Amino acid sequence: MPLLQAENLTFSYDKKHNVIKNVSLSVEKGEYIAVIGRNGSGKSTLAKLFNGLVKPDSGKLTVDGFDGNDKNSLFEIRKRVGVVFQNPDNQLVASIVEDDVAFGPENLGVPREEIGKRIDFALKAVGMEKFRHSSPTRLSGGQKQRIAIAGVLALMPEILVLDESTAMLDPQGRKEVLDVVEKLNKEKNVTVITITHYMDEVLNADKVFVLSDGEVVLTGTPEEIFKEKDRLKSLGLELPLAAVVADRLKEKGVALPDGILTNEGLAEALCALKAKI
Amino acid sequence: MRVESKDLTFIYGEGSKNLSVTALDKVSLTVEEGEFFGIIGQTGSGKTTFVQHLNGLIKVGKDKGSVIVGEYNLSDKKCDFKSLRAKVGMVFQYPEYQLFAETVKDDVAFGLKNFAPNMPEGEREKLVREAVETVGLNYDRIKEKSPFELSGGQKRRVAIAGVIVTKPEVLVLDEPAAGLDPVGKREFIELLHKLHGAFVKTIILVSHDMNLVSENCTRAAIFSHGKIHSVGTPKEIFSRYDELVELGLDLPVTASLTRALKENGIEIDSDLTVDGFIESAAKIFAGEK
Amino acid sequence: MKEVAFGQYYPAKSFVHNMDARVKILAVIAYIVAVFLVQSFQFMGFAACLLFVLIATAASGVPFGKVLKSIKGILFFIILSAILQVFFNATGNVLVEWGFIKITDKGLLNAAFIVARITLMVIGASLLTLTTSPVELADGIESLLTPLKWLKFPVHEFALIMSIALRFIPTLLDETDRIIKAQKARGADFESGNVFKKAKALIPVLIPLLISSFRRADELADAMDARCYSGSKNRTKYKKMHLTWRDLIGVLVMAGLITGVVYLNITGFLAVVV
Repeated sequence: MPLLQAENLTFSYDKKHNVIKNVSLSVEKGEYIAVIGRNGSGKSTLAKLFNGLVKPDSGKLTVDGFDGNDKNSLFEIRKRVGVVFQNPDNQLVASIVEDDVAFGPENLGVPREEIGKRIDFALKAVGMEKFRHSSPTRLSGGQKQRIAIAGVLALMPEILVLDESTAMLDPQGRKEVLDVVEKLNKEKNVTVITITHYMDEVLNADKVFVLSDGEVVLTGTPEEIFKEKDRLKSLGLELPLAAVVADRLKEKGVALPDGILTNEGLAEALCALKAKI
Repeated sequence: MRVESKDLTFIYGEGSKNLSVTALDKVSLTVEEGEFFGIIGQTGSGKTTFVQHLNGLIKVGKDKGSVIVGEYNLSDKKCDFKSLRAKVGMVFQYPEYQLFAETVKDDVAFGLKNFAPNMPEGEREKLVREAVETVGLNYDRIKEKSPFELSGGQKRRVAIAGVIVTKPEVLVLDEPAAGLDPVGKREFIELLHKLHGAFVKTIILVSHDMNLVSENCTRAAIFSHGKIHSVGTPKEIFSRYDELVELGLDLPVTASLTRALKENGIEIDSDLTVDGFIESAAKIFAGEK
Repeated sequence: MKEVAFGQYYPAKSFVHNMDARVKILAVIAYIVAVFLVQSFQFMGFAACLLFVLIATAASGVPFGKVLKSIKGILFFIILSAILQVFFNATGNVLVEWGFIKITDKGLLNAAFIVARITLMVIGASLLTLTTSPVELADGIESLLTPLKWLKFPVHEFALIMSIALRFIPTLLDETDRIIKAQKARGADFESGNVFKKAKALIPVLIPLLISSFRRADELADAMDARCYSGSKNRTKYKKMHLTWRDLIGVLVMAGLITGVVYLNITGFLAVVV
């Protein structure tokens, strides 16, 4: 059974215009999932549905065997699906880092000693243990987002949902956050669902869902998704720049193989080409 | 208008012993009229502090160097900052957060009302319409709407219309494409070029996006720790690969490809725009099978 | 860069920092009462309060300059009160007369008295916020208010609201600065004109600030819900407050101060009576 399963989820804020339409998807334990789509495609609403922040109008969500339509399992689902939001300033509740990380476990009624251990664990996992007693206002955007991740990790979630968590960060901060998330996925087997419009964040994913106007219109590995160039273009999405360069070189008669998505891949292919002569 | 700073220095919290931070350290930089100038550097390198000097939002301190924009000497106490600000427009990060008026029309007109309070209503509305249409929105359809009921992308356009409504000669933009999706970003760049071709003579663009800078700028400056690390054409500054990496900056895709190929003994000489790179690379690789 | 004189926690490890927040809150209340108990012309009482606050500052490790800066925010208010006293207190011996304005010895004394009272009060109160993190402060108040739970007063929620408000002050100050700059760049003028014009000029700042606060509140509520927040029920607390020998010393010193001031009052009173 998948860790998270959505069956025909439909949702509207105003009961008129559906922002999520008939979305069905499943996520297995340990997977790294990317959800992409233009601004306003319903990506963020999907994150809120996964965590029970909003309830679907119809359809069913199951997380680790708990039924999202059952009122009593709401907290079981929230415990298992942690969400890190976009704005680093608007999700930290406390003025001291360790107090903020403690917030989630406190809400669950975790005993004091155990909370201390969880803070140790969570701050270490995001590499912020040195800042335990600092004030978040003095930290950089990337550091704040790492604290937000730690605050979610302290709930010991199965799934980490990143709702455009890198959109407001500078390249340095983005890299910090992505490194931490990748490490959690690889070393701690945390399932990751990253919602983004940065195409290069999609490349590492095991599976990609493309969302358009509330519907999942494409599903597959990054390679499979990026093959659908025209489809992506019509959806208002763009290929990673390296893939664009590769395509245009091919049009000019450079004999590059298909499926080049990264700088490294393109450089390698070009070097191989040169070696052949 | 030419923009020129000489030995510009700025210290936050000057006077207090352990809290003062030198944000700018003797920065001398000239941007000629007509340029599309990029300013890059890590967060905290002084970029924002620098550009906020250019329209007097931050005043030049005593003995802290000078800033001259066109005929305005900003170190001069008698400098007319109000008329300067009408000529040097500034778009902040997430500019939609500065919208406040009841209607789109009023919000866009705000700058005009401040800079030219005696302008006849008809003329004002004509300029407001022009600005809204320049940013690609339908004026008649949205003029009476509240700016807060627009979509995110529309809000940003309205905010920009509110800056360009005075037809500034110099337009300074601080990370203006943040939060836009790829298509939104591309449309935004097109808008910048459109403005640059119209009344805006000089664009100064602060950005973390190296591809954006290498693709669009005539020249750029790299800031690091409040100093200017280097100034030049994208080709000149982005060819200093190792130094950039040392500064914690990314390379544009074209530069990183050029660098990787060079390490393998393949020299590609281009201006580091995507078009330029493809043209040069195609010459070397096309037909080699 | 973000300098808020009043209320900004100064992180350090010191005697005062390590005291129990509840004791500090009570001590500051007692101190303010003491400052108020000092009667006119009993400057000895002020001297005692000043001594107390100096000792407390020394024991807190907060630089004196930082403590003094807390007055900056209300300096205008202090000066205004002093001026009103100097110029419009008509009792006592007239020293200078100029039109309808009379400066009297009593007016000067009263002005000095008021300046001393407000300054001492503010310094004492800011010492509390300088040495107590907002979270500790909120926890302390929550704990002190616990008896009110019997009256159905939402003590926990009240404390949480306070700590969140404190957490967001620096963020909103930054935001205000940014909006002011953005509107100035569009020609807004916040400096010239009379009071009404200035107040009107603030609308383009206040509305975006208000809207952004709502947006932040909305997002924060989601983030709190996502982290399983559901009110005070079954909630544990990571930080426990417990009294130590420091708190005992604090209480004793406080008691000494109050006794001293009261004693001065009584002897002063006796001196007048006898």
